[in-house]
Amino acid sequence: MIPIEFFLMFSAILFVIGIYGIMAKNNAIVVLMCIELVLNAANINLVAFAAYNGDIMGQVFVVFTVAVAACEVAVGIAILLNAYKMKKTTVIDDLTELRW
Amino acid sequence: MVDIDISWIPDTFGSITPVLPMVLVIIGALLMPGIHLLLKSRNVTCAVSLAFVLVAAVFNILLLLGHYTGTYYDLFTYDAFSGLMILLFQAVAFIAILIAGPSSETTRMHVGAFYSLMLIATAGMSFVATASDLLLIFVGVEMVSIPSYAMVAMKKKDPRASEAAVKYIIIGGLSSGLTIYGISMLFGLTGTTNIADIAAALATQGYTAGLVIALATMIAGYGFKIAAAPFHMWAPDVYEGAATPVSLFLATGSKKMGLIVYVKIFFVMFVTIQAAQPFMTESIQYVFAILAAITMTVGNILAIVQGNVKRMLAYSSIAQAGYMLMALAILSDWALTGAIYYMFAHVFMKGGAFVVVAALITVGVGETLKDYRGLAKRAPLLSAIMLLCVFSLAGIPPLAGFTAKFFLFSSAIVPGLGDPVSSQWIWLAFVAILNSAISLYYYAKIVKAMYVEKGESEEKIKVPVAFTVAAVLCVLGVIALGVFPEPFLYYCSQAAAAVMP
Repeated sequence: MIPIEFFLMFSAILFVIGIYGIMAKNNAIVVLMCIELVLNAANINLVAFAAYNGDIMGQVFVVFTVAVAACEVAVGIAILLNAYKMKKTTVIDDLTELRW
Repeated sequence: MVDIDISWIPDTFGSITPVLPMVLVIIGALLMPGIHLLLKSRNVTCAVSLAFVLVAAVFNILLLLGHYTGTYYDLFTYDAFSGLMILLFQAVAFIAILIAGPSSETTRMHVGAFYSLMLIATAGMSFVATASDLLLIFVGVEMVSIPSYAMVAMKKKDPRASEAAVKYIIIGGLSSGLTIYGISMLFGLTGTTNIADIAAALATQGYTAGLVIALATMIAGYGFKIAAAPFHMWAPDVYEGAATPVSLFLATGSKKMGLIVYVKIFFVMFVTIQAAQPFMTESIQYVFAILAAITMTVGNILAIVQGNVKRMLAYSSIAQAGYMLMALAILSDWALTGAIYYMFAHVFMKGGAFVVVAALITVGVGETLKDYRGLAKRAPLLSAIMLLCVFSLAGIPPLAGFTAKFFLFSSAIVPGLGDPVSSQWIWLAFVAILNSAISLYYYAKIVKAMYVEKGESEEKIKVPVAFTVAAVLCVLGVIALGVFPEPFLYYCSQAAAAVMP
């Protein structure tokens, strides 16, 4: 069996890439994709722990997370479309009407 | 205090009694788009959703007064704490729906969908209040967040709202990613998602790298929901950009949900393991104490420079969240009682202020301090309500804000009723009292604009009656909680006792 540390390292790398993308990327669509990366890092953790602990709860949790991620993307893309219609941009740095 | 016989409710509804208040609200949420489609009337849709909230609230109050406790599939636990918190969320939903009907900012096209989203979010908050499992907490928080993103974006043609919604969904997605990662680590460490079992498992483990990551990501992730500094930057933008009824809903409801998650996870966990792991508990207490101190200071200092009243109220609710976070640092039942009392006081005083702001935007007055000049002559009742609400927020006796602050801050000095004075958190009480003094400055700026300065127009303002009703209800709550704390304090202490393991 593959040691659990491998799964944890893999998910930690995904998590860090996702967080980096959310912080550094400027395009809102790319940021939404990075949020998916973070959620999937957690999913890998949950599935790996479920397999190693012999507890099905982790896999149940993943089903819920996938559903939540799908909802979030659906609403997120709709909101970005709405913003694009009004401002003709999806670049976060150009959204400067509200500050301080 | 009151004893009534409620045995007919479990007899009628059987095993779903613990989730009855949520089930009623969800039925309402599912019916709402159809009702709007068939009847094609905004006012009827608004009235029907209000009716659903009211019926759910009546059942909830009956269960609460009958001291009902029950569980549903190990996931939901209805006790004094969850009952009281569901009541809080129902009150928030009632006020928000009442003023969303006549407000000029809410959507005219998708009324059914709007109320449906608001009811789903209310049900999600109630789920969090009853949850005894991390899975349900996660799903409940998302049930609130995802409709909130949509509600923020649903304002009529306003570029500020669409910008606020983009910022909100990005921060919200980041927060749910962080929390689920933390939950996955906690699940790996303890092998369970039940909070009581997690606490029991952690009592035998010390600090590990995994636990530090889990706690840090979960505190940060739910910190975004509470808008605790340094995770607060989305809140002013979203509260300013969204329609005011939605801002009210987020500032008074969604924020409390985040605090309840903190109480449900961290308060329960660390009270349980306090004896077994004193070092771990104390270090987390200091984390929350510093979080609370930073949050209230940042909120109050940034509120001073705001010219937009909605934005000022947003920063003030960041500061208020800082006060309520003190309970997690003190970790005693008296502190939790104070925090629960504060949550209710905050709903009424912040709700009342937002209702007045919404009414003034609807009649075209505007939302900046300049627009509020000379308002006392133009709208005496609304100005008086605003005055009472902001003075209550600042903590002036005999209003609810003072009483709540007294209970909460005194718990920092005397951790439990009858305990000796403890010196550990006196600095926190000192910071909080200093912050209340700072906050009086910007609240007084609103009052000064309304009562002292002269406006350009002298014409009387007439607002739709729903706003007046909502504002008067809020102000009655503010006065009642301030002058007669005794009966309500009893229920708060019952709730706190239900949380303590």
